[in-house]
Amino acid sequence: MSRLGSLPRLFVLIGLILGGAASPVAIRAQDATPGATPTVVNPVEKVALVTPESRTNQGWDQQAADGIEAVAKRRGIEAIVEENAGYEIEPLLADLADQDVQLVICHASGYQTVCPEFAAEEGIPVAVVENPNAVAEDLVSDIETEAQEIAYLAGVLAGRLTRSGTVGVVVSDEPPTWNYMTVGFAEGLKATKPDAQLVYSVIGVAAYGDAAGGKRVTDQVLAAGADVVFGMGDGSTFGMIEAIRAHNAENPDDKALFIDVIGDKSQTVEDDLLLTSVLFDFTVIYEEMIRDLETDEFGKVYTLSVENKGVRLLDLPQSVPAEVVEAVARAEAGILDGSIAVSAVPDADGVRATLDELFPG
Amino acid sequence: MTDLPVADFLSALLGSGLLLAVPLLLAALGEAFAERAGLLNLGIEGMMLGGAFAGFAVALETGRIAAGVAAGAALGVALGSGFGLLTIWLRVDQVLTGLAITILGSGLTGFLYRDLYGGQNRPLPTTAARLDLPVLTDVPVVGRALFGQPLLVYLAWAAVPIAALVLGRTRFGLAVRAVGEAPFAADAAGIGVAQTRFAAILIGGAAAGLGGAFLAVVDVRTFTDNMTLGQGFLALALTMLGRWRPWRILAGALLFGMLRSLETGLPILGMDVRPEFVGMLPYLGLLAALVVLARRAAMPAALGVPYERGRR
Repeated sequence: MSRLGSLPRLFVLIGLILGGAASPVAIRAQDATPGATPTVVNPVEKVALVTPESRTNQGWDQQAADGIEAVAKRRGIEAIVEENAGYEIEPLLADLADQDVQLVICHASGYQTVCPEFAAEEGIPVAVVENPNAVAEDLVSDIETEAQEIAYLAGVLAGRLTRSGTVGVVVSDEPPTWNYMTVGFAEGLKATKPDAQLVYSVIGVAAYGDAAGGKRVTDQVLAAGADVVFGMGDGSTFGMIEAIRAHNAENPDDKALFIDVIGDKSQTVEDDLLLTSVLFDFTVIYEEMIRDLETDEFGKVYTLSVENKGVRLLDLPQSVPAEVVEAVARAEAGILDGSIAVSAVPDADGVRATLDELFPG
Repeated sequence: MTDLPVADFLSALLGSGLLLAVPLLLAALGEAFAERAGLLNLGIEGMMLGGAFAGFAVALETGRIAAGVAAGAALGVALGSGFGLLTIWLRVDQVLTGLAITILGSGLTGFLYRDLYGGQNRPLPTTAARLDLPVLTDVPVVGRALFGQPLLVYLAWAAVPIAALVLGRTRFGLAVRAVGEAPFAADAAGIGVAQTRFAAILIGGAAAGLGGAFLAVVDVRTFTDNMTLGQGFLALALTMLGRWRPWRILAGALLFGMLRSLETGLPILGMDVRPEFVGMLPYLGLLAALVVLARRAAMPAALGVPYERGRR
C-alpha cells in the first residue's frame, strides 16, 4: 500500500473519531468493539423503583428494591424506592417527576399502562414488566422474567422427591412471571414422573400479600395429597410455609416440602421444609438498563435468563440424595445444550390448557 | 384430580372456612356494640392491624400465645379509647377519626415491623393450643374441623351468646341501645351517654384487636404488612348484614368464611371455574345477603351523631 493511498483512509478515520465524539448516538453498544466502553452521553444520577407491595416480602418486591439499591450503591447514584404503592400510582409518578428522576422502574405487571403513559407525557424513561409491546426508543423498556427453565429443574426435583405422587402448585395470581414458571415446573415434573398428579390452585386475584389466603389454599392442597408444594406468592408465601410447617408438625413421618421463588428464605425457613427456590437477581438487568440509558441505548427488552444469571436455583440442602442432585444437573445440561426445550407460556389460558394436556383428568 | 382423598379434603375445606370466619366474627361483634351505642368506627381495620402486630410482637418476645392474644386485645382497647376520646368528648368527626386510625394502623405497623425486625419474616416459636376431643375429633370430615380447632375459635363462638345476652338482657346492654337510639332521652333517664359510648367503643376496640391477633398469632403465626387486607371493612358490612344482632353476625361470618374456603376448594375438586369468578363468590354472597336481610334494617337512630348535652 502506497503512502498516498493511506492518507485518505487516515482522514476518514480521524473524521469518524471526531464525529463520534460529537454525536450523541455515535456508538451503539452492540456495534462497539468488544471490550470497548460505550460513550456516556446521559449520565444517570437518580433512578426510582415503584413496587406494589411491601419490600418485606422476601420476594418480588424485596428482590427488586434490594437490587436497585445495590446497583445504585455500586454506581454511586441515588435510588428512590417507593414500595407498597398499590396500583393507583399516578400521583406517585408525578411526585417522582418533580424529584427529577431519570428513570422509573415500574415493578408490576399492573403498571403496564400507566407507566408508558407517564413516560410519554413527562418524557421520563420508564421500565415496565412483561409488556414488550410498550417498548419505545429512548422512553420505554420492558423487563421479561422467563424463569421457566429453572422452574423446569424445580419440577424435576419435585418429581424425584414426591412420595405421594401428588404435587401442588399454589399461586397468588396468574401474571406472566408465575405462568412461565408454572408451565416450566409442570413440564419438569411430567418428564420426571409421568404418572404424577398436579394440583394447581390460585389464591385469588392480586392476592400477593394474602398470607392467610396462602395458608388456607396450601392447607387444601396438602389435604388433596400433595407432599411437595411449588409456591409463587410474595407475602402470601409466608402463609404457605406456615401451612406446611403445621402439616409437618402433625405428620413428622410424612413431611411435605416447599419450593419457593424469587427470594432466598433459607436463613429463616427450616432445611427440612424449604427444598429450594427459583432465585431472581434483578441487578443484572438494572445495571444493563442504566448503562443503556447513559449511552442512548434505552428502549428495548431485558430478560432475566439462565445465560445472564438473572435466574438460578438456590443451592439444594444436604439432605437431597446425590442421585436426585445428579438428575437435576443432567436436566440443566439438557437445557443448556438445547436437548430439552421448555415451553414459555405467559397467559393463564395457556397455562390451563398446558396443565390439562400434561395432567389429564 | 382422580385420587383426591375426599374426606381429608372436605375436612380441610370446612376447617379453613371456620378459621376464616373468626377474625370477622370477633371484629363485627365488637362493632355491633359500638354502632348500637351510636359510634361508627371506620378504624376497625387499623385496630385489627394494630392487634395483629402487637399480638405477634408480644408472642414472639415472650413465646406465649396467650400473652400475644392479650396484647392484641389491649392494643385494640388503647386505639378504641383514642377513638372514644376524640369522637365522644372532643366531638371530632367519627368517619375522619376512624379513617385516620386505619391509616395510622397500616403505616405504624409497617414501620415498626421494619424497625424491630428488619423486614425479615419471623415465624412464632409456638403454636396455639387446640381442642382435641377424643372420639369426636376422629369423626370423618367434620370431626377435626369442628372439634380440633385452636381454643380461641371456641372462645369466639362463645362470645356470640354472651354478646347477645349482654346487649339484649342486661342493664348495660339496654344503656348501650338507649344511647344509640335516643341519647337525649337516655341522658334524661340518668344514663351516662359519654361513659356508655366509651365503654362500647372499648369493647369494639378489644374485639377488633383480638380479631387481628387471632389472624397473626393463631392462624398464620407470623406478621406481614397489611395482613388484614380489608377484613375490618368486611366486618363493618357484616355488622350491618347481621342487623347488629350477634347470632346473625355469626351466620354472616360463617357464610363468608365458607364461601372464601370454597373459592379455592372448588377448582381442586375439579370444577373448571376461573379464579376471577370464584373470587367474587364471597362478596356476591355477602351482597345478596345484604340486599335480602339488611334492607329492612333500621340503623341505630343516633349512629354517627355526636352527643352534646342540651344541644339538639
